[in-house]
Amino acid sequence: MREAIVTGGGISGLCCAVKLAEAGVRVKLIAPYPSERSQSVMAAGGINGVLSKPEQGDSVNCHIEDTLKGGNYLAGKEAVTGLCQQAEEIIKYLEKIGTVFTVDSEGSLVKRAFGGQSYKRTYFCGASTGKQIVSALVMEVRRFEVKGMIERHFWTFFHSALIRGEKCYGALVYNERTDKVEAIYADFLVMATGGQNSLFGKTTGSALCDGYAAGQLFLQGVELKNLEFIQYHPTTLETCQKRMLISEAVRGEGGRLFYVENGKRIYFMEEIYGPKGNLMTRDVVSREIDKIVKSGKEVFLDISFMGEKEIRHRIPEVSDLCMKYRGIDISRESIPVAPSVHFFMGGLAVHLNHETNIRNLFAVGECASIYHGANRLGGNSLLAAMYSGMVAAKEIESRDFEQETVDFSDTEAKANLGLKKMKDTKSQFPVMYIRDMLADTMGQNLGIVRNEEAMKKGLSDLDYYLSICDRLSFDSSVSMYTNYSLKAILTLAKATLLCALYRNESRGAHFRSDFPDIDDAFAFATIIANDEGQFKIRMDKEHSYEN
Amino acid sequence: MKIKILRQTLPNTEPYWEGFDVDVNKDMTIAGVLDHINYNDDIIDDTGKKTSRIRWECSCLQGMCGSCAMVINGIPALACETMIRDLKGKEITIRPLQKFPVIYDLVVDRSIIYENLKKINMFIGEYIPVENKKPKKREKELEHQYEVAKCLKCGLCLEVCPNYVNGNNFFGALFANDCYLVSSRNQSKLTEIIQGYEEHFGKTCSKAFSCMDVCPMHIPTLASMAKMNRYY
Repeated sequence: MREAIVTGGGISGLCCAVKLAEAGVRVKLIAPYPSERSQSVMAAGGINGVLSKPEQGDSVNCHIEDTLKGGNYLAGKEAVTGLCQQAEEIIKYLEKIGTVFTVDSEGSLVKRAFGGQSYKRTYFCGASTGKQIVSALVMEVRRFEVKGMIERHFWTFFHSALIRGEKCYGALVYNERTDKVEAIYADFLVMATGGQNSLFGKTTGSALCDGYAAGQLFLQGVELKNLEFIQYHPTTLETCQKRMLISEAVRGEGGRLFYVENGKRIYFMEEIYGPKGNLMTRDVVSREIDKIVKSGKEVFLDISFMGEKEIRHRIPEVSDLCMKYRGIDISRESIPVAPSVHFFMGGLAVHLNHETNIRNLFAVGECASIYHGANRLGGNSLLAAMYSGMVAAKEIESRDFEQETVDFSDTEAKANLGLKKMKDTKSQFPVMYIRDMLADTMGQNLGIVRNEEAMKKGLSDLDYYLSICDRLSFDSSVSMYTNYSLKAILTLAKATLLCALYRNESRGAHFRSDFPDIDDAFAFATIIANDEGQFKIRMDKEHSYEN
Repeated sequence: MKIKILRQTLPNTEPYWEGFDVDVNKDMTIAGVLDHINYNDDIIDDTGKKTSRIRWECSCLQGMCGSCAMVINGIPALACETMIRDLKGKEITIRPLQKFPVIYDLVVDRSIIYENLKKINMFIGEYIPVENKKPKKREKELEHQYEVAKCLKCGLCLEVCPNYVNGNNFFGALFANDCYLVSSRNQSKLTEIIQGYEEHFGKTCSKAFSCMDVCPMHIPTLASMAKMNRYY
């Protein structure tokens, strides 16, 4: 029987595991923590799709066009077409497995407007869509666990891929219970490890998504793509512990952005972009808010006119969050908002079938870069998480069985020796200190508006951290994983800065004050490869991936 | 403010209390306090001794994932939504959940929750909901299912429960709620689920309902129980 490892327990990983098991592929689902802890549960607003009875004028083609346009035509048309065409089936599937969607009095699914979309096509479960989907998928996974088709491994962290001769044979994982690295052999390895949040410290997302896997695979020869495209979500609320997301659903339900000048509310998005201004794409809204915030004014989001009853019905989670952390009653007061890092359009470069440049190594969900181009539309991430998991599973199912064993016991022994050596160092150097410095330098030098000087400063900081990283002693006050993951995370940060420096234009979420215009010479995906320590960047003019 | 934390180096070592003097403000959460202690090159306890970083689990930091469940001033709660302003007294005590094995400091192993759900085949499989002709009733049922599906599996309901010991036989409120969710969405599993419910919840629950007081998602466990009781 064919076997696959799926690394990551969020929606894309769960979906892929279920679809593999359905197809008779045995799955080892590797994730240190249960799926309830994954970032997927934080996805609030909804999932896009054109279903039967769409809004008048809407069509699947329109969804495709909006997605491509929202991403500044950097995503591949074929990939996006597949994504949008499958949306109806995906939403029906989610309903069938028990996702509790919000429905009207007739029992039909309700849709709301989302940014950058010509029509209302975002289906939702209150303001906790991701959580409801996770709850349904966890049960589906359990169905196959009981049958012995899926085996979940908790307290197990990805260490590296088993790669020889451009082909993948499984993974090395660090088991916290045994404090050892173990080789797990499999015919296929699927990465579903999420975005690289830790590059920026605290983001709107989960503290567990750190980008280690992408950085480590890059060190092992896997190509990365479009790293410079980082989505700042326009509306986040400052709280004592992080900036929290105020779902796009608020603007989808009619919420209006404004600032106050001479005692008068200025609805700036509507003034600049017309009546649908509040629902422009996230890159545009974030830049406009950023400009106002930098001029010293505060921006607010108002939904109070919706009334308490409707707010409780349509966006209860947003109302609760504002009250709990800031004491703001959104049925009476406006919400002070500013942009914050939210999503990574870039990641592991994958072909249409979600395979990387290494045979039998796949990537799905946010860690894979494929559908969103230079900017992602709200409601498309949940769709892409589900769709990518299905595509990878389907590809694996269709593959001929290649019975071939390669022995990696030397690699395993070497990895264990590496960890032991790391632990034997006596003096203490705080790994967390470097992680915090990394977040500071990335936040300062790779913000919403970028320029060469700042990015070069960031790069020189990164080079310094990388130069001392190998000489760091073991920090026994954090986990072994936190210790060994540092170098790959720093490497990923460096690759990100290099890609941002390379793209001398402004497109989507990548805005350069020194190159403020779009330039056709850069109308391609950025690919960065690690050629024995040399970072090589190219524009994917040959469309070697999906474009 | 004095923060006292019950610490443990490894699963098999003895726990010990360690104190910290921390500058706090009333708007901080306990997660913020732990971050504040850890965000230093050197971590110093209240005796001036250099010590190690406090290990605790966190993911979302906004009450949506259940990672940071712990016991704060004797009450099981999520650290990321427990505000200093809501706590009484001059010092704060923090200890790990005690009904699960400690891995280190405030990190516990909650795998038993999932093992138990697996034992009872807790999955929907096929969607065959209980038919409800009246729209109002159908709406209420969906609302209830939505609330129940928000369960974080954080374990707070088990920690506070007088009947839950170690999960060997009694599986607690989170299990009862899932029983309702599965049976309401697939009526063909009703008999199987009722049997599991009775065996691992119904016959032991002494109806203290403290689980509902500590649930961060405010899940209406009582309503789930009422529905399950009506089924059999």
